Amino acid sequence: MTSPTPLIGVSSPMLKIKELINHVAQTCLNILITGETGVGKGVVARSLHAESNRAQNNFVQINCAALPETLLESELYGYEKGAFTGAHKKRYGKFLTADKGVLFLDEIGDMPLSLQSKMLHVLQSGEFSPLGSDQDYKTDVWVIAATNQCLEENIKNKTFREDLFYRLNIIKIDIPPLRERPEDIPALIEYYFKRYLPEHPNTKALRPDSRTMERLCSYHWPGNVRQLQNCIKKQMVLSSWDKIFEELPNDAYGTETSSSEINSPGHSTGAAFHSSEHQLDNDPGNRRLSIISEFVDLSTSSEKLFEDISLKKIKKLASDKVEKEVIIFVLEKVGWNRSKAAKILKVSYKTLLYKMSEFDVNPPMS
Amino acid sequence: MANPARLLIVDDNEDILSTFYEFFNSLGYEVKTAVDGFAALKILRDKPDYFQCLITDLVMPNISGVGLISIVKKEYPDLKTIAMTGYGDHPGALASEAQADIVIFKPVDLFKIERKVAELIGYKED
Repeated sequence: MTSPTPLIGVSSPMLKIKELINHVAQTCLNILITGETGVGKGVVARSLHAESNRAQNNFVQINCAALPETLLESELYGYEKGAFTGAHKKRYGKFLTADKGVLFLDEIGDMPLSLQSKMLHVLQSGEFSPLGSDQDYKTDVWVIAATNQCLEENIKNKTFREDLFYRLNIIKIDIPPLRERPEDIPALIEYYFKRYLPEHPNTKALRPDSRTMERLCSYHWPGNVRQLQNCIKKQMVLSSWDKIFEELPNDAYGTETSSSEINSPGHSTGAAFHSSEHQLDNDPGNRRLSIISEFVDLSTSSEKLFEDISLKKIKKLASDKVEKEVIIFVLEKVGWNRSKAAKILKVSYKTLLYKMSEFDVNPPMS
Repeated sequence: MANPARLLIVDDNEDILSTFYEFFNSLGYEVKTAVDGFAALKILRDKPDYFQCLITDLVMPNISGVGLISIVKKEYPDLKTIAMTGYGDHPGALASEAQADIVIFKPVDLFKIERKVAELIGYKED
């Protein structure tokens, strides 16, 4: 096993997270780690394990989104020989292998509701029974969960149990996206350079010069640290920052970067909005108006107009509009098979149904 | 009061925090405040055995009130705890998680809380 990635960052939110880890790792209270994809939720979980008094015991990870429901259940709790067709021998679940250690439940927001209630029971009682077994096992696991979803929203949509949420959310560690802490980027680049250089002894890859570094720091990194990490991996092979920039999605900044603009709070909305935002910045005013007019009636007096404009409202209208189109697009591709569509869209089946009814999306009449 | 009772009050709502501060201060309590569970934990670790009663909100960033109370029960078992739970956040599910000595539902009656505080620490003092 390679040594775990340390938590890298000098920005104040990252320093605060390190301090928080340091203060709570010994408590072994349930922890919920939130943040966009690629921000390092797994790294935080491993740091918690490493600093706790369970560091000598197992760190067991399971991705709740990667497995179908029945498989997830047997992975978590194990099964007895003969519990179901194909269960040729007894298998221990993650709850048993993580005993006295840490069980890291990644993508907890994707856990099916039926398993959520079983999970809640285990968290409350510390007891579980493998599939096909009538024996109760006692388990002492420290549960750390992570998600990139807004569980509060999922609770409203009835796709996540509120009582389970409160059970997990005893301590919450929210990791901000990389674009909100660009001061961490140089340290991350240095770390991954050092890590990948030995794997590419003949590489001609150079570390970024100051101009390149500025550009890297002002990019919005929709895929966060993982995306940056992949860029450094690529740089080992390509040895050309220009090529790296060419391949970065939505890099509408060109050569003239203006970091002040990119770091402004307005840009810290969802990643999906960055592309259109940057087009807005680059295109003439009428293009901007035409986009705005889709969501706000521009023909009224400016007084009335300013009353109507609310970033929150517009954000909702805009995201609804795009989501609806994407949902229809995917549903059409899969012949209106909703469970397939939900998988592709990476949302739960329930969320998809909820959104379909919210946006009034219906299959074509046959 | 010869020896003022010492309270630590935790809430992420600064208005509530200042209201509590003013109220308990005017009654002669010595009050410290913290805006979230982590800030409160740092104060407690800095001054263990200093406070007699902790009054905390339950829904807060980083360390929740539930978490803070669990830590306190383990590390500072003599410290009395009062949990406050808000109207917006479905009190039932949350309050059942908190192992506080007393759970109070918002909106709170300050005089009622004061009586509870006096009861909690009074019994201990006598």
